[in-house]
Amino acid sequence: MLRATIKSLMARKLRLLLTALAIVLGVGFMAGTLMLTDTATGAFDELIGQTFQGIDVVVQGHADFQPGAQGGNTGGSETEPIPDTLLPEVLAVPGVVAADGDVSGSAQLVDPVTDKAIANGGAPTLGNSWNPTVTSLIIKDGAPPAGPGDVAIDAATAADHQLVVGQDVEVITNAGAASYRISGIVALENSDSFLGATLVLFDLPTAQHAFHREGKFDRIYVKTDGSTPLSSVIAGIGDVLPQGFEAISSQDAADQQIKQTQQALGFLRTGLLVFGFVAVFVGAFIIFNTFTIIVTQRTRELGLLRAIGASRRQIMGSVLVEAVIVGLVASAIGLGFGLLLAQGLKVVMSWIGLDLPPTATVIQSRTIVVAVIVGTGVTVLASVFPARRAARITPIEALREGQAPSASLRRRSIVGGIVLTLGLAALFAGLFGGVSSGASVVGLGAALTFLGAAILAPLISRPLASWIGAPFKGRAISGRLGRQNAMRNPRRTAATASALMIGLGLVAFVAVFAASLKASAAAALDDQLKSDLTVSNQQFQPFSPKITEALGERPEFNAVVPFRQVEVKVGGSSNFVTGTDPIDAGAIIDTTTTAGTFTDLSQPGAVALAKRVADDKGIHVGDTLEMTFARTGPQDLKVVAIYPESTLLGDYAVSLDTYDANAAQILDFITFIHLADGVTAEQGAAAASEALKDYPNVEAKDQAATKAQQSQAIDQVLAFVLVLLLLSIIIAVFGIVNTLGLSIYERVRELGLVRAVGMSRKQVKRMVRVEAVIIAVLGAVLGMVIGIAFGWALQRALAPLGIDRLAIPVGQLILYLIVAALCGVLASIWPARRAAKLNVLEAISYE
Amino acid sequence: MSATTTQPAARAEGLRKVYGRGDASVEALRGVTLDLAAGEWTAIMGPSGSGKSTLLHILAGLDAPTDGKVFIGDVDLTTLNDKQLTQLRRDRVGFVFQAFNLIPTLTARENITLPLDIAGTDVDPTWFDTVVDTIGLRDRLSHRPTELSGGQQQRVAGARALLSKPEIVFADEPTGNLDSRSSAELLTFLRSAVDQHGQTIVMVTHDAHAAAHADRIVFLSDGRVVQEMREPTAERILDELKSLEG
Repeated sequence: MLRATIKSLMARKLRLLLTALAIVLGVGFMAGTLMLTDTATGAFDELIGQTFQGIDVVVQGHADFQPGAQGGNTGGSETEPIPDTLLPEVLAVPGVVAADGDVSGSAQLVDPVTDKAIANGGAPTLGNSWNPTVTSLIIKDGAPPAGPGDVAIDAATAADHQLVVGQDVEVITNAGAASYRISGIVALENSDSFLGATLVLFDLPTAQHAFHREGKFDRIYVKTDGSTPLSSVIAGIGDVLPQGFEAISSQDAADQQIKQTQQALGFLRTGLLVFGFVAVFVGAFIIFNTFTIIVTQRTRELGLLRAIGASRRQIMGSVLVEAVIVGLVASAIGLGFGLLLAQGLKVVMSWIGLDLPPTATVIQSRTIVVAVIVGTGVTVLASVFPARRAARITPIEALREGQAPSASLRRRSIVGGIVLTLGLAALFAGLFGGVSSGASVVGLGAALTFLGAAILAPLISRPLASWIGAPFKGRAISGRLGRQNAMRNPRRTAATASALMIGLGLVAFVAVFAASLKASAAAALDDQLKSDLTVSNQQFQPFSPKITEALGERPEFNAVVPFRQVEVKVGGSSNFVTGTDPIDAGAIIDTTTTAGTFTDLSQPGAVALAKRVADDKGIHVGDTLEMTFARTGPQDLKVVAIYPESTLLGDYAVSLDTYDANAAQILDFITFIHLADGVTAEQGAAAASEALKDYPNVEAKDQAATKAQQSQAIDQVLAFVLVLLLLSIIIAVFGIVNTLGLSIYERVRELGLVRAVGMSRKQVKRMVRVEAVIIAVLGAVLGMVIGIAFGWALQRALAPLGIDRLAIPVGQLILYLIVAALCGVLASIWPARRAAKLNVLEAISYE
Repeated sequence: MSATTTQPAARAEGLRKVYGRGDASVEALRGVTLDLAAGEWTAIMGPSGSGKSTLLHILAGLDAPTDGKVFIGDVDLTTLNDKQLTQLRRDRVGFVFQAFNLIPTLTARENITLPLDIAGTDVDPTWFDTVVDTIGLRDRLSHRPTELSGGQQQRVAGARALLSKPEIVFADEPTGNLDSRSSAELLTFLRSAVDQHGQTIVMVTHDAHAAAHADRIVFLSDGRVVQEMREPTAERILDELKSLEG
């Protein structure tokens, strides 16, 4: 039996390959994602390990929690600075041979040629003090920075922007923009790259000035003599440290950083894996469909096997063995494809600022195990139903012309209805029910919804195909036949279309959601913002308060209000608190409150919060709210105001003074400007660009440009997601190719007949094309309906967070529909050629 | 209608057909020359492997001869390319096959008009009515093939072959899958097409009773024309076949 299975498989290598392709792409994407993130993790581990080389102990302020990746771009740490008077005391501890005070922050280089701030996508722009005794950096060229006018920069950035020793370059730090002379080029011992980050080094006093750390350090790096046990050195240092500071081994410090990068890469990994799962899910439909068609076509053969004594179990086994082989082959090819994809993803990562070294891609055994299990598992799972169907074939069917009878539609509608209901229930529970791990529940719900819709699709696919094909009805016979062919086997048409339904459903969903996001954001700007100009960084990186200061000096402006943001914990969960000027804020945003007075925020230790949060927590004006800052730990803040939903203020707002007292990195995130009376928009813009002359890292934009920037940012994310969804659409197109190919094989006689009675090859091609287009559009229409519903549901769920407008991008959706139809045309090329090439004589002979 | 006219509807000249190459080659036709008169029903008979199906396929332009010439009217098929052959099949030739004659997704009416629809020409309603009345299936026109009996299906196929008023209709074992009653229905229909409308028909069959409906029988053996018979009867045909096989 096994031999028969393998022989029949080998006889159909091409089909095996086409079937496997559906799984190859999905598995490949998952494997590629794992390889990429493993490679990135390895690169970061290596980089972090290297930066701590030569350092044994790290002294730092105690952080109450490790802020997540979102706060990582400032280049600085959210810990209490250390008084520099501690350095001699640390040096005096037995076993310590050397120690450097370290200061870090964000330092942005300005390219002298383009006059633009250097930014590698979202990669950090690091600024640091040159730590002469404990540094792990080596000077490749020139000398270390040795005075207030010197900087050293990393070799990769220097090479990318043709910066050389002796050249003058502008650097923007917390202290503002200033010109420096490049004194040296630095690198790590065995790598020039900081994985896309730029690095600017100052001598210690200059760094202290640049990052507002006069008389202070962010850390002290300690080197020990190597003979004294590390634990006793750490204990010895601990004894001299005042409350709120800690000494840890460099190993622990490195682990902390590694943990942080792993968390960030974890998000990336999960995000990418989702698309891999979608692709595999879509692939499962293709496998299911292919095996079903194959079983139908082999009815006679299987019936014959039954007649000569094969048991049902053996028949089922033979189909499942075929699935296992297809799955294993697909997984193996998928791994290879994943390796290629990982290289491609590396390039994509470099666009968003993560430059991975050209070292070998990391392939963990876990990656191989996951690929094989997912690839084979999904293939076998998808073929269980076709296998059961095969086992139900009776010997008598071997003798009968025609196809095996199909199971009742009633059972299908019951099962489909249940699955769909479960899916929708999970979806709504996840979105509105406030269940824990909502995202997974929503994902499961979406998958079940698609599955249910796919099971139910055959019920409506015939009328729907008839309706979609209506334009071909009265026309040429080839179109009419194509339409009839799309309608003749509703299960097959529906199953093929379902694969595309998932892809297009998700495309429509993100399109609707993105449009709603844009509309809501634009509306929020209109409703909430009263300012004339908005100042921000292109990548939304925080910037020096000096910029806001410079703007504040202009007489053309009557209010210049900065917003700052830092991660905090409230009631154990992470959130962000916004720092702003409570008095001037009224000039640029709507500060109407539902309770309390917004300007009371200027009282020390006061906090205002959004009504939704207040209602949620049952907090009223006058209550105390405990907010934990990484730097200062838990703080009891007095609630003075409750405001309606505000995208600008977020959940919590405090005054700038309260903010500065508790956050370590004092940087503005966005600054709003209100023009003084009598100042025209042109004058205002001119004044802003005059004030920002030295700061190419930020731009002042009017409301329209701000809106445009916002929607551009959303469009970029949308485009990225669409590219990732393309994968599942490609798989679905392969599905159409496969189904049509198998259908043509089945309809050889029919094709021979129409050719014999005078149909030209061109007409045959057109017939196949029409069928493919109808299947594709059917899938697209079903997908759009589901996708729009998903988009609407998510928008409703997030309405309390300010996404209060539903926008359906009709033009865009129509475009996708046209693209889907073109996908159909594309998918039909090969089957149509096959059908047209058919030898008429062979098709109509019986022997 | 006259059984002989000046120009034959179709003509084969020294047809040879070799399948395969070298030692494995099989010579299916070894020089067949044959005139098929217009308005006449010719049956081609012969034992299995005599080359009768090959001859029909070549005459109909479905297959190309290794050597020799084939004419439909005065057109030499061996000079035509695939496109021109398709055009010829569409406009000047009709087919009835043994089985799989109808497209399952189309109704009987749509199947009958299929060649005209493919060509994009209009259906002549009077002729359509005439043909449909001849096959006697007016009440079944909106049915799909699966809802028709085998005999009805073949009659629909016959109607399709006649509707475009082709110069010649090729029928390949048209009664091969039919019971005797359905066979009789189909053959009567074909006979009336010849008698009433002067249709030229070439039919391959191994059924002596079917062949007996024809005007003329050509016997093939080992790829050669070995015998001809006019005004055949089933007995005479069977005798002849017996002598060929024996």
